[in-house]
Amino acid sequence: MGRSPTTKDDAQALFQSLRSAYAATPTNLKIIDLYVVFAVSTAVIQVVYMAIVGSFPFNSFLSGVLSCVGTAVLAVCLRIQVNKENKEFKDLPPERAFADFVLCNLVLHLVIMNFLG
Amino acid sequence: MTAEEWEDFRKGHPKAASLKTVPLPFPELCATLFDGNAATGNPSQCLKLQHSAVIRIQTSRTLEEPKEDNMAKFSIATVFIASISLLLTLTHSFSLENPTDRRILVLVDDLALKSSHSIFFSSLQARGFELDFKLSDDPKIALQRYGQHLYDGLILFSPSTERFGGSLDVAAILDFVDSGKDLIVAADANASDLIRNIAAECGIDFDEDPSAVVIDHGSYAVSETEGDHTLIAADDFIQSDVLLGSTKIEAPVLFKGIGHSLNPANSLVLKVLSGSPSAYSANPKSKLSSPPSLSGSSISLVSVVQARNNARIVFSGSLDLFSNKFFKSTVQKAGSSHKFAKSGNQQFATEISKWVFHERGHLKAVNVRHHRVGETDEPAIYRINDDLEYLVEIYEWSGSNWEPYVANDVQVQFYMMSPYVLKTMSNNKKGLYLASFKVPDVYGVFQFKVEYQRLGYTSLSLAKQIPVRPFRHNEYERFIPTAFPYYGASFSTMAGFLIFSFVYLYSK
Repeated sequence: MGRSPTTKDDAQALFQSLRSAYAATPTNLKIIDLYVVFAVSTAVIQVVYMAIVGSFPFNSFLSGVLSCVGTAVLAVCLRIQVNKENKEFKDLPPERAFADFVLCNLVLHLVIMNFLG
Repeated sequence: MTAEEWEDFRKGHPKAASLKTVPLPFPELCATLFDGNAATGNPSQCLKLQHSAVIRIQTSRTLEEPKEDNMAKFSIATVFIASISLLLTLTHSFSLENPTDRRILVLVDDLALKSSHSIFFSSLQARGFELDFKLSDDPKIALQRYGQHLYDGLILFSPSTERFGGSLDVAAILDFVDSGKDLIVAADANASDLIRNIAAECGIDFDEDPSAVVIDHGSYAVSETEGDHTLIAADDFIQSDVLLGSTKIEAPVLFKGIGHSLNPANSLVLKVLSGSPSAYSANPKSKLSSPPSLSGSSISLVSVVQARNNARIVFSGSLDLFSNKFFKSTVQKAGSSHKFAKSGNQQFATEISKWVFHERGHLKAVNVRHHRVGETDEPAIYRINDDLEYLVEIYEWSGSNWEPYVANDVQVQFYMMSPYVLKTMSNNKKGLYLASFKVPDVYGVFQFKVEYQRLGYTSLSLAKQIPVRPFRHNEYERFIPTAFPYYGASFSTMAGFLIFSFVYLYSK
């Protein structure tokens, strides 16, 4: 009981620092983050829906969820490559990274459309 | 003209080869054409002339040829017609359409048997069989000629024969059975090793003691003199309408002969008439010093074999069972007050001979077909989860025509390594059997199988291969309402991708 306010304060302090640190993130990375959040939340909604109505058109379910997950994964990859602080990809121009991202997305959606049924 | 010159000439004119030695065929013609030259005796000139004569003869031949050709055509046609009619008579004798045997060879030790067993033989003849009686040591006995079997059935009423005449031996008899022909073998107290060997090959072991006969102090046939109880009144029949006919055999069957046991390793052999629990096999003249090797109902008196190729065999330990004397005899079983005016032998022998010569219990399956429910054409391939119907018509030969076979235990299997579907078929009482079922959710190469083996009936074994494929890409269900959220999610992700691309590219 005595620890509860302390924990609450700690959590608040943690979110505060997290928000202030995130505020410093470049805008293009924030856009990517928003896009990832959109994809992941769509995937979660579908999983919940499947849990309610059952797995009958299983191929449709798989393609719906995998399109979201695949999108999220590709977006995260793009984020890693265009992040200036990431020294590993400093030789890779962001245009090239974005072109790779677009190409991968096209392939992903082609497969998804095929599998959607 | 030298020999070399002649050789050269012969090479060019093969027809002239024989002319060197034969005299000139037309000497006067030769003389008139080449008067002077011929006189000089110039052989080369004369040969030239001969050559032209040959040509002339050939031309006259070609003129004659059409006539010969016509003759040849005519003779070929006659041979053709004759062979077709021969073929027709041959196919009439035994065919799938008429499975009953026609020609039967009867081998006897003694032609007196022909009259002592005449009731049995005349009943066969009255049913349309052609009996060919031969002494078992007749040197002209042959079961086949030029690879063709001469007979459809064989009756061995020659228990004491040590060696058959002609080319007949154990191997020939087994070969006869292996080719689907039928056999009746009757032994008696002095059965030879030959008969015992044939029986042993068919899974029937006659008592090895040559002096042993079946004795039964419990159910012997009562006679005026108290005998040694070797004349048995047997009534332990197999319960099978197809083997012994639908009319129950009321009177016991008189049996006097040797007993046999069945080889337990052979699953094709059946006891038709077995000994009573008090029967045993021993020498009636000597005192029984050791327990008999065969006793009780394990003694078989008459047995049948139906081979896998549907050849049928009857073994009887008693030749007298088929005799006129036993057919007509009255019978009273010991311990029973009822005296039958006539023994069951005639009915038993007639019924068992009807079975063995395929007048009964012969099934055929025709018109095997299958199709999807609601269609009539037979597809080359099924898809998983298709509903299909499998139909087969089964008929039984009644001795004169094919009659619908009615049974409620015919099953069809849909088989790939193991039966995925095993279904009892319904029938319409007219011989048409039908099963409808759903193809399992497994694809591969399946078989429709009908394996029908019932006591006394010929076995049916049908197999038809059919592949089963999975759904085609465009055969899956589409636009399912339940799946709309998934479709929406996929398309919204795509739209999200486009919007994201624009926002990302123009945000700077």
